[in-house]
Amino acid sequence: MKNKVLLGLAAVAMVAFLASCGKAPQAQIDATNAAIEAAKAAEANVYLPAEFAQVQDSLNAVLANIEAKKSKLFKNFSDEKVKLDSTLALANQVAANVGAKKDEVKKEAETLLTDIKAVIEQNTKLFPKLPKGKEGAAVIEQIKSELATVDNSVVEAQGLFDKGAFMDALNKIKAAKEKADGLNTEIKDALTKARIKF
Amino acid sequence: MTKGFFKGEVPRHILIISAIAGLITLVGFLLFYPVPSPPVSKMEHARKTLSNARKEGADTYSTTLFTEAIEYYDSAMTNWRSENMRFIYSRDYNKVSFYAGLSSDKAELAAEDSKNTLSELETRLKQKIGALNVLITEINELFTSYPLAYEVRNRISKGKMLLKESEIAFNNRQYLQADRKMTDAETLLTTSFENASSNLKSYFKSYPEWRKWINQTIAESRQDSGYSIIIDKFSRKCVIYFNGIKKYQYNAELGRNWVGDKRVSGDKATPEGMYKIIRKFKSDSTKYYKALLLDYPNNEDTAKFISDIAKGILPVSAKIGGMIEIHGNGGKGVDWTEGCIALTDREMDTVFKIIEIGTPVTIVGSMYNLQHVLNR
Repeated sequence: MKNKVLLGLAAVAMVAFLASCGKAPQAQIDATNAAIEAAKAAEANVYLPAEFAQVQDSLNAVLANIEAKKSKLFKNFSDEKVKLDSTLALANQVAANVGAKKDEVKKEAETLLTDIKAVIEQNTKLFPKLPKGKEGAAVIEQIKSELATVDNSVVEAQGLFDKGAFMDALNKIKAAKEKADGLNTEIKDALTKARIKF
Repeated sequence: MTKGFFKGEVPRHILIISAIAGLITLVGFLLFYPVPSPPVSKMEHARKTLSNARKEGADTYSTTLFTEAIEYYDSAMTNWRSENMRFIYSRDYNKVSFYAGLSSDKAELAAEDSKNTLSELETRLKQKIGALNVLITEINELFTSYPLAYEVRNRISKGKMLLKESEIAFNNRQYLQADRKMTDAETLLTTSFENASSNLKSYFKSYPEWRKWINQTIAESRQDSGYSIIIDKFSRKCVIYFNGIKKYQYNAELGRNWVGDKRVSGDKATPEGMYKIIRKFKSDSTKYYKALLLDYPNNEDTAKFISDIAKGILPVSAKIGGMIEIHGNGGKGVDWTEGCIALTDREMDTVFKIIEIGTPVTIVGSMYNLQHVLNR
């Protein structure tokens, strides 16, 4: 008789265990969330928006699956644990990739900054040699004003670069570089036309 | 105590059997009683719709709808979590389902809205880039050699740079950034163009009067068989007539603010009007090589100056200025004088030799009308 009682209690315990003992992998969820936040802090949403969105989607899917499992009488989160592991790995990968992408953009911005400074230096040297003909004064004023605008733009771009906003800096420098190159050609053309050596 | 049955007492084995039966019934109930099921597929649909909306750029181009969709999804998840905390048989997922549906609807709308916004923005930006480049060409053609105010020229340069930045952002499909820069560029360029155009038109408003002065000056030279000088400010020319015929023409340099008439001392403007040479300064009496002094201010200048003070256009403390000369030290290629007309020293030698006191000097904004100047 005693055995029968024990058997009954064991059955109840088993049901209770199956019904409630499968615990949600909260620690993994927290770790994945932290990894996503770290990727965001590294500006993954700016430099690698598609990859970052994929990580977010993946976590949302796992969280929904976990709730779906929690809604059942018997819970088993082993699949979700595996998925959380892969989402965590993906988040870490994106964070690592964003560093590489940022370095790439930073390098491009750095190279352009060096290039544009050289062009500006040449423009500054050539500018005083421009012919001052009858209509030259206003033309010179125009070129002077545009050179000053390029200078300001480079200062702004340098400021963005120093703040770590490499993407914004790059876009600004690209525009300034195009302008500086255009002015360089304009000045050289004017000097060539006036047969002034440079 | 000995084991046994008392009167009215339920036998122990019956109690145990009943307990086990009860437990089995309970387990059976737990196992087979239908558990409320959450809207898993609806939530999945909401999630996929949101993801699609994000891919369509709704998080950037349809922020309001997209944010609402996200908030509904979050509400669905919060409700789901909260229901899952309750006893399994008393859970109710209706709200979860409701919010999931709303999230899907909003996300679909956001995706559609984003697609439309993007397409409209792309078309609009393309058109605007084209239009602003046309405006820049026009500005270059009209005003590159026109002495615009420093501020206007600066605004044009900034506008050009912003347009370039906008084009780069556009090519990178960063349409919002492109739009912001384009708006700033458009403001700078259109206001500068309007300002410069109205300035140019207003400058040439006095042309009929200038024409009269020019004709009168040439006629006077013809009548007197003498010299007369016309200064064309717009083309920076000093033209010398003898006996009504153009004899010499030199490039002239003017006051830094040469556009418009001189109004007050220190405004660095070159006056407009009909004057005469009243004094000649040799090299030892001027710091500008040689100089011919004009009778500025004449009666008209004085009358206008007094009237401007009376109208409050000029402060009572303003002074009319004077010492407007044709002098040497020119050839710098820029307008640098305080309002005088500068020639090169070599040209000044010739002018100084032939021009006598009393020679008429007429200073005009332009010897030619605006149409002629624009078509040059």
